[in-house]
Amino acid sequence: MQKEVVLMKPVKALIVDDSSVMRKIVERSLRQAGIELSGVVEAANGVEALAVLGRTKVDLILSDINMPVMDGLEFVRQLQGVKEAKNIPVVMITTEGSESNVMQALSLGAKGYIRKPFTPDQVKEYVLPVLEP
Amino acid sequence: MKITDPPPAIAIDRVAWASQLCVGAQEVFAMMVGTKLFRCPDPQPMIVPEFTAMVGMAGAICGVFTIRCSEYAASAIAAKMLGISIEEASQEKWDAMGEVCNMVAGSFKSKLADGGQNCMLSVPTVITGADYKLRSLADEESIEVCLQFDDEPLWLSLELHK
Repeated sequence: MQKEVVLMKPVKALIVDDSSVMRKIVERSLRQAGIELSGVVEAANGVEALAVLGRTKVDLILSDINMPVMDGLEFVRQLQGVKEAKNIPVVMITTEGSESNVMQALSLGAKGYIRKPFTPDQVKEYVLPVLEP
Repeated sequence: MKITDPPPAIAIDRVAWASQLCVGAQEVFAMMVGTKLFRCPDPQPMIVPEFTAMVGMAGAICGVFTIRCSEYAASAIAAKMLGISIEEASQEKWDAMGEVCNMVAGSFKSKLADGGQNCMLSVPTVITGADYKLRSLADEESIEVCLQFDDEPLWLSLELHK
């Protein structure tokens, strides 16, 4: 049975993906999933994402794994060393079917993962639980 | 540095893999593009493709997966993915094609006998224009599938190192 989660406040999301099309689709899917967004910031790789987190406070991070410059696994690893950001829930979004990549992301601190392709319902199913207060 | 044995190669199954490519592309287009793809009933003559998106595969299977189509089809795919007009989508077609190629390759990979555990995908690359030749690997075997996207053909191709 799916657990109903009531969000107390809109969330600001950081979407990390080297594809601008995918960043837009993820944002649209969050809105279609009924997740109220107070803002969205974007980054094209892990390095950009860490820079964004240095100047912006966010409530949720959705990150691709397979990216140039710094991939999603390394980003999550380095995020754990950022005191102000290490407790922000991270959901990986990946085409990688490999369980080992997913398990590695989870062991590094990611709270969940969504496989591409995905529907807004799947975004809701995987994102809402990590936003639970 | 730790040196590990290469993963065991997976035997090529042309019929099953062609079917898996079709199913993977149909899933991706249904969920991310909002369109049904149909397999072309007869072999279609390959037109000169204007857009070629490619993803490299390494590990248990080695090769290159490509999706080729017209520029119009690439724009139409981007437009449908983003819910915008074809004119507005003209700057997004490269990115959209790369992402679609990546997702179809990922879907195909996950349907392999080992669940794709031992196969890695590269970041996608998109080439525009027709004046090029693609030569990926020696001893290659090719699996090609033609699908119909609206009234436009899409050619899916898997060039494999035997």
